[in-house]
Amino acid sequence: MTPDDVMIIVIAGLLSTSCALLGGLLVLRGQALLPDAVSHAVLPGIVLIFLLTGERASLWTVAGATAFGVLCVLGSDWLRRSGVIESDAALALVFPALFSLGILGISRFASGAHIDLDSAIYGDLTFAPLRTMSLFGADLPRSLVITGVATVAVVLLVVVLWRPLQAATFDPAFAELAGLRGRLTGQVLLVAVAGLAVVAFDSVGAILVITFFVVPASTARLLTVRLGSMLVVAAGCGWIASVAGHGVAVSLDTSIPGTIGLTSGVLFALTLVLAPRRGLLARWRART
Amino acid sequence: MSAVVAGSLQPGALQPASLQPGALQPGSLQAGPLGGLLDALPLSYPDAVVVVGTAVVGFVAGLLGPLAVLRQRSMFGDAMSHGTLAGVAVAFLLTGAKVPELLLLGAAVSATLAAFAMIALERTGRLRSDAAIGVVLSVSLTLGIVLLTGISDSGNAQQSGLDEYLLGQTAGMVERDIVVALAGAGVAVVVILLGFRLLRSATFDPGFTAVAGVRTWVVDAASTGLLALAVVLGVRTVGAILMVALLVAPVVTARQLTTRLAALLPLSAVVGAACGAVGGLVSGRAELPAGPVIVLLATALAVLAVVLAPRRGVIARARAGRLREGAAR
Repeated sequence: MTPDDVMIIVIAGLLSTSCALLGGLLVLRGQALLPDAVSHAVLPGIVLIFLLTGERASLWTVAGATAFGVLCVLGSDWLRRSGVIESDAALALVFPALFSLGILGISRFASGAHIDLDSAIYGDLTFAPLRTMSLFGADLPRSLVITGVATVAVVLLVVVLWRPLQAATFDPAFAELAGLRGRLTGQVLLVAVAGLAVVAFDSVGAILVITFFVVPASTARLLTVRLGSMLVVAAGCGWIASVAGHGVAVSLDTSIPGTIGLTSGVLFALTLVLAPRRGLLARWRART
Repeated sequence: MSAVVAGSLQPGALQPASLQPGALQPGSLQAGPLGGLLDALPLSYPDAVVVVGTAVVGFVAGLLGPLAVLRQRSMFGDAMSHGTLAGVAVAFLLTGAKVPELLLLGAAVSATLAAFAMIALERTGRLRSDAAIGVVLSVSLTLGIVLLTGISDSGNAQQSGLDEYLLGQTAGMVERDIVVALAGAGVAVVVILLGFRLLRSATFDPGFTAVAGVRTWVVDAASTGLLALAVVLGVRTVGAILMVALLVAPVVTARQLTTRLAALLPLSAVVGAACGAVGGLVSGRAELPAGPVIVLLATALAVLAVVLAPRRGVIARARAGRLREGAAR
């Protein structure tokens, strides 16, 4: 393995860790589709900042994109609470509209600019080690620095807010009564998801965002019964998928994010069938 | 061009040979089976093809959208439309050529498989429906991306344009696409008309339907098949990412204006068709991609309906609430 390969695996692994932590909470809260929606809804933010500043990957981009991610969450929440639309329909209404705005912005004002839709969707993880920035005198890949910072932030957030997050996830009413600010915690979580989706979007592309948020967390859900162990197992699944997926991609010479995503899918399928006690095979045996 | 059309309207011109799909060269101005209809519109021929095509696609999506929305399966459409990519890629790999009908067939098969995978995952009782949808969506999308990457690296010159399925494309639309879409619309209307009573009871009272002796999997399979039809017809026009809006937005609009399923289905279909036609026209004139324009139009209508609808709308209910408060005082 070359140093570049190691770098790609580390970036994917770090990202899968932070996505798994937040994704586990989302899966338990029944909001597993939020990252998918948010990762599409951030596009107009990226385009808008590009039109205003001419930069496509600055802190402003992250801020602008996060703003639109939050707008997507709040917009669908408003539609849902208006009481005339189911929550899934509200989500399905808001994010395509925002994504459409982004595409129109690109095709109208920024065509030929360096907002490449393909790289946004397929991700350019493969070239991540080549885009470097200097930090404390050392040349490090930009994606590595960004995902590293994001991962540390997410881990800190989950550790600091552990009690309120746990309570708000399993028993929102209790969280509110116990003074743990359940609604506020939920909103903080959503903002964190939006920010992380933007970072992930930039580093690995939209396809891996939704995969990393949902698939490892769902796999861990099949194996564990406690929140803490579920989040750890989910992060572990993310790392396994990153290492194995990268290996497969290199040997077959195909899309790295694609195979990493597929590997997580295979892990999920294996777990669904083989999980001790709760797997399909175990239940089938128990019945006969 | 009118001379050609006039010719095609003569009985003699309607020989089987002219109806064979192969006789229609893509992009040619030769009048096909729809020549008279398209010429009747006050539009140039390419505009007319796009407008009629997007209208038919919008009609089908609007008509079948309630199958997803009313059963709280809106995001099913999202996963199914992402699932079409893998089917398109496999169909292309098997045939080695871009035959639109075969690619559509592949897309339909994989969208249906994705839907059944979601239903099966839900039935195992291990995952909630949102997680099941998320898992199937990401796995089918990554599978599609891996296959498409493999195809584009293979150097097959035919492959260019397959990624249209992700973001949609109307520029390449030809009469043959409209014929296929019209056939799909016909199937959808007939199935909905025949199965309306069953659909109504399965949607609003699944328990009763099951007790009445209807196997729920039959209804599930039928509505999944119909949804796959809508997704497959729409996905090339508006793209896999935006397709879900075309299924959901017209239903939300129509739902604010009526409370009866028998009125909801045609109303939503008409709203979908109108958004498709107007969006297709506007995008052609403004040289913008059609998918986003259609989706924004449909969403704007839906939000307007939610805010302004008589009795149900946000404003109407705020007013009613104030009246009630006043009466209580």
